[in-house]
Amino acid sequence: MSDWGHATELDDISGQVAIAGIGETEYTKASGRTAREIGVEAAERAIADAGLEPTDIDGLSWNGAFADFDADAFHEHFGTSHDLWTSRWGGGMTWAGTAPHLAAQAIADGKARHVLNVFPVAWATQRGSMTGGPGETHAAQPLKQNLEVPFGWFPQPVYFATIMRRHMLEFGTTEEQFGAIAVACRRNANHNPTAVMHEKKMTLDDYLASPLLADPLRMFDSCLISDGGAAYITTSLERARDLAQPPAVVAGVGEGNAESGGHWSQQQEFTSTPQVFSAPPAFKMAGLAPGDVDVLTVYDPFTVVSMMQIEDMGFCEKGAAGEFVEGDTLHHDGELAFNTHGGLLSHAYVLGIAHVVEVVKQIRGTAPAQVPGCEVGVYGGYTGGMASTLILTEDR
Amino acid sequence: MVSLKRADFPLPDLSDERTTEFFAGAARGELVIPKCDSCGAFCWYPEERCLKCDGDAFTWTAVDGHGRLYSWAVVRRAFLPAFEGMVPFVTGLVALDADPTVRIVSYVVDCDPDALAADQPLDVVFRDLRFPTVPDRAVPVPMFVPA
Repeated sequence: MSDWGHATELDDISGQVAIAGIGETEYTKASGRTAREIGVEAAERAIADAGLEPTDIDGLSWNGAFADFDADAFHEHFGTSHDLWTSRWGGGMTWAGTAPHLAAQAIADGKARHVLNVFPVAWATQRGSMTGGPGETHAAQPLKQNLEVPFGWFPQPVYFATIMRRHMLEFGTTEEQFGAIAVACRRNANHNPTAVMHEKKMTLDDYLASPLLADPLRMFDSCLISDGGAAYITTSLERARDLAQPPAVVAGVGEGNAESGGHWSQQQEFTSTPQVFSAPPAFKMAGLAPGDVDVLTVYDPFTVVSMMQIEDMGFCEKGAAGEFVEGDTLHHDGELAFNTHGGLLSHAYVLGIAHVVEVVKQIRGTAPAQVPGCEVGVYGGYTGGMASTLILTEDR
Repeated sequence: MVSLKRADFPLPDLSDERTTEFFAGAARGELVIPKCDSCGAFCWYPEERCLKCDGDAFTWTAVDGHGRLYSWAVVRRAFLPAFEGMVPFVTGLVALDADPTVRIVSYVVDCDPDALAADQPLDVVFRDLRFPTVPDRAVPVPMFVPA
């Protein structure tokens, strides 16, 4: 079981840093905006939220695979030119969970004081010109282009339909159980005015009536395609206490890797995610356990990715998530408040950055679907061959 | 974003060295998989180094075409223009009897999609892959049928 991947060794940074500022743009369908414009707007709002000035930001992280936002965009927008510690290993997806660890190291090394992590996306606007939409980056990989795409195993809905079917075959998971995840995320989004699906209700019957894209995967198992972005600022806990907002303390960080890299087809534990390797060290660093978690957000491009991460992070036994998620378990007022902003399925497809921002809001007590007395919030990041776990706590 | 300008996409790129042998094998009716010269393990996909022993030399080796249906999807939405007119089709993962950790991604054909079952035995067949968007080109590839 454990030979198909490994955890990244991470220094214990528990309690050293905190998230002190968050910023979000509007989340929309095609907006006509560029990701660069969206990114600088999110950055500006995060800086204002923390009570800082652009010149206070001396560290910047983003995702180098999305060249839309970078240090040049930052300086151009703010009219600044000061030195920045930078990392291209931030942004969204798994890196939305590990960027605070990078920041903590830069801060500990005296390279930066206030590190801004930004992730914008404009895929709703770009969609028409992309081959297979978000599948385009996958189709560009030679092994996928030659051994998967010609065989109709493309794009992501087809991979995850195949994983979903295997989960059903191995564990008896039902379509109604996958539907329970989609319905919970929608109900949570209905409480969140910034969610793209805020106005649209969904029942389990609506889910079961939604079209099969790749049987057994339905349209309502799938994330939205959105424009939008968010940003957050990591600083030392000491410094965060002097700033405008209550700190969300970084209590634990984990990162897991699968040996199969980004090839889902060859991942030997096909119905598992690298959360198996990421979550345990993160909880250990935090001195906490899954039972202590008040709010869980996970990167949820498809319902089965939520199903697997709930199992792999230890919220139930492997294979038992189907029963676990039935009914209202995952609703914001349920047993495990889950993707309380609506997630990638019903809030917006901004690749995980809004999940981290939502956890910060829950810790502050300012989320639209607020969980009363939330002290511990977790983000589970997922990027196929990688997973991350970020545990945030109230400052006590 | 990367643009896929290759005129024969989504047919495989036969000039890509990492997969040339796979399609050459299919053209002569053989299913061939790289085997590590150091440790003897089948290595799939054809990566630069063996994941088991880090070896970097491989011999493409013919295997018998028996396998089991590990999982599959019945694709109903044409995600590429090339797939229009093909849907619904069954695509999935076939775990080879020669080494079940090797999963071949391919079409399951000549089957009733509703009658497919987990781990059911399949046999390889070699068929020409054609797309209406790439006229006058065909590439022989392995596909699978119920045994």
